[in-house]
Amino acid sequence: MNRQTLLGLGFLSPALLAVVMFFLLPVVLTVVFAFTNMSTSTGILGGEYQISESDLRRLPAAGVREEAVEMLAGADYAVRADTLALFAAEFGDKRAQELEALHGGASFDDRRAMERALKDLRRDPIRSVRERKAAAELFRISILGQRFPTEAAFVEAITALGIPEADQAALTEAAYTGWTFTTQNFELLWELPATWRYALNSALYVVLTLAFNVGFGLFLALSTFYLPTRTAQTFRAIWFLPRILPPVLYVLMWQWLTWDQGFISAILRPFGIEPINWMRHTATHAWTFIVLINGCVGASLGMILFSSSLRAIPETQLFAAQVDGANRWQQVRFVLLPQMRWPILFITSYQTLSLLTSFEYILLATDGGPGRQTEVWALAAYHTALSNYGGNLEYGLGAAYALALVIIGILLSALYLRFFNFRDLVAKPRIEQ
Amino acid sequence: MKQMTCALALVSAMAATPALAEDITITVWAGGSNDSDHYRIDNIKIAANLLSREAAIRGEELNITVEGKRDFDGWDGFKQAVTLGAEAGNAPNIVVTSHLDIAPWASAGYIVPVEDYVDLDAWPLNNVYSNLMEIAAFDGMQWGVPQDAESRPFFFWKEAMKKLGYTDDDMDAMAARVEAGEYTLRDMLADAKKAVDMGLVEEGYGFYPRVSNGPDYAQFYQSFGGELMDPETGKLVFDRTAMTEMYQFFVDAVEAGVTRKNHIGTEWDQWYSEVASGKAAFWHGGTWHYGRYTGKEGNDDFFGTIGFTLIPAGNEAGRANTITHPLVYLVTDQEDDRAEEIAAQLVAIASEPRLNTLHAIESSHLAIGKAEAALDLYAGDRWASEATEVLLPHANAQPNHPSYGAFSEAMFKGLEAAWTGVQTPEEAVAEVEAQLTATLGDELIIR
Repeated sequence: MNRQTLLGLGFLSPALLAVVMFFLLPVVLTVVFAFTNMSTSTGILGGEYQISESDLRRLPAAGVREEAVEMLAGADYAVRADTLALFAAEFGDKRAQELEALHGGASFDDRRAMERALKDLRRDPIRSVRERKAAAELFRISILGQRFPTEAAFVEAITALGIPEADQAALTEAAYTGWTFTTQNFELLWELPATWRYALNSALYVVLTLAFNVGFGLFLALSTFYLPTRTAQTFRAIWFLPRILPPVLYVLMWQWLTWDQGFISAILRPFGIEPINWMRHTATHAWTFIVLINGCVGASLGMILFSSSLRAIPETQLFAAQVDGANRWQQVRFVLLPQMRWPILFITSYQTLSLLTSFEYILLATDGGPGRQTEVWALAAYHTALSNYGGNLEYGLGAAYALALVIIGILLSALYLRFFNFRDLVAKPRIEQ
Repeated sequence: MKQMTCALALVSAMAATPALAEDITITVWAGGSNDSDHYRIDNIKIAANLLSREAAIRGEELNITVEGKRDFDGWDGFKQAVTLGAEAGNAPNIVVTSHLDIAPWASAGYIVPVEDYVDLDAWPLNNVYSNLMEIAAFDGMQWGVPQDAESRPFFFWKEAMKKLGYTDDDMDAMAARVEAGEYTLRDMLADAKKAVDMGLVEEGYGFYPRVSNGPDYAQFYQSFGGELMDPETGKLVFDRTAMTEMYQFFVDAVEAGVTRKNHIGTEWDQWYSEVASGKAAFWHGGTWHYGRYTGKEGNDDFFGTIGFTLIPAGNEAGRANTITHPLVYLVTDQEDDRAEEIAAQLVAIASEPRLNTLHAIESSHLAIGKAEAALDLYAGDRWASEATEVLLPHANAQPNHPSYGAFSEAMFKGLEAAWTGVQTPEEAVAEVEAQLTATLGDELIIR
């Protein structure tokens, strides 16, 4: 490897690092997560081993035989010879004798009851809460609710309980609290009726917004092209505002506009039109505003790019057209637009990909409402993985949603690259050859 | 001689310092808390002071620094912060959160049972209402301690009721009639329709429900005979009939012009100001709304203008009910057991009636324990006393089940679809059922 190559790699390395960190790694993690049942309940970094009371009824379905389940159930704490011996070793024979006299042979369902039994000791009571808890633990005979950090510790505990070896594997698997690999997320996506609605919503969202973005961006660029430079710049600056406003503030302004006590309703009231919430009244209202909200942001980018490529077109061509008697429309249609093919294609492909994964403006404006009518695929992924009133976030299922987007995105990029004829685009200009 | 003096001085100095000097920092994160909820953190600070004093009397030096944080980006932001903190091994020692988080967080190992460290049979925990303690338990273990109690009443605007023909006595008897099932949601709908027709309130303001998902909607499911969890098996229950009738009720309200079709998603600020000023005839909310109505919204005559009852029954199968959704103190899993122990002890001390009353009255919540009713501060507060009496005995809670969150979201999304007219109630129920069957599988009983 010569020095130049090394230098080249050196210069590239920050970009490579960024690509790996912010593109490849998230994609790889999304793929991995999508094939797990990871959720808040399972934790992210791994689990422990535990059988709790509510697990008991799930065990038969997990392949653990009834007799093994019965061995796990039953009382948690018992005052019997072996547990009393443990107690005597730590807390003295006298206490053990008194406890045997009071509660010998008794068993208790929970630690609280066991602690109460220990409080009955009169001759030499265990006074500190901490010690009493430690003493109560000595009488524990069940493993229900106990957490074992490793598989070995858990297997040891169930072996000590006398669980037959045939059931141990299934029981250990059922006891694992962490996540496991599974394909159930994709089966679930396939089965859920809502999935198809979200897919349709996404398609609708992308197509409508894209049409607005490109069309309006082009309109702005062309209309400002013919204005005097300073006026044109002012107009462009104004149309650029939606993009530089913080999204929360930008959407809030739309909310003010559309509330049933907002600007639109107030203006229309004198004309006898009942005030309604213009953004949420029906699905059509919601879609209209979502396209407008996103479209105004997207159009500004199109406007800037289109404007600069319009200015790159030699003015002499327009003069020539004028001499030939072309009016403004004919100039646009036959001189300008044919030379705008590349920027239009670029904006179309770029915006398709970014719209496909964008949901923040929808989240702020309608949050997918009314009645899930504007819930797009990316928003569903967000809701599943990161927002749940009840607290259990389903990271795995959310990643499965996101993975579908990644795949569609990659396919579309490949398609666009082909459509674009990328090699032509980066070829050397012929004029300089 | 000089040497001896020095040695003596050293010995006496050592004798003066207690044998164990222990410095410990306890962090408390409180979710969903605004300014009036500062005692969620301050009570832990007071508890730390008390615990240090107790230690000093035993001759130990225990210095506890309490650091609190309650400015989170909503519930979502708070829960993400806690879970990611726990994964990274730097979770706060104590969290104040919804009791619904117990099931998933316990299973993930983020929290430890508070019963590992404190005596549940001793003061002050034996003073806490046992039904509230149960809400903070899961799978046979006491994971947390209720931090506050609340309840979600049904409200009506007295002036509108008067014009509908109800006398003052009628209104006073309303709570009892609702409780007995004599006044149902259907009666309410008829009254609300009348109020709209008579022009007492604007169209869409007859019945003015909560604007977002929350425990409140489970109440209406219960009003129509729905049950959230099967007590025998601990599985969640999806009652087709109750769900359909509940959806139908909201659809009927929209059709009658009593409730707005696009009501869900209304801004909270707008909603509060409207209900507190009598723009709506009937609505429902929470006990803590009292503070908001009389404070920020400036309703000076709460008892003269607003009446409250349980959520009325919807039909014969259902019952008048209210859901309490207490926040709980939870102790998180830490490397250092001593930090868990101190945290659990602080939580216990913060549950002292006097301390909890400070929070209850300051933030318009209800008491967690019996003894609070006897304290002057609590007894002297008309809202706290009356709400405790009318609502708390009938309050139940949503189940601590790892999948309840999915259940609640699906139920609300279905309701929204029916409410906004996107689907009929039957279609919406069928879709929710299909979704829950697929996601919950064996954990769901369908009736």
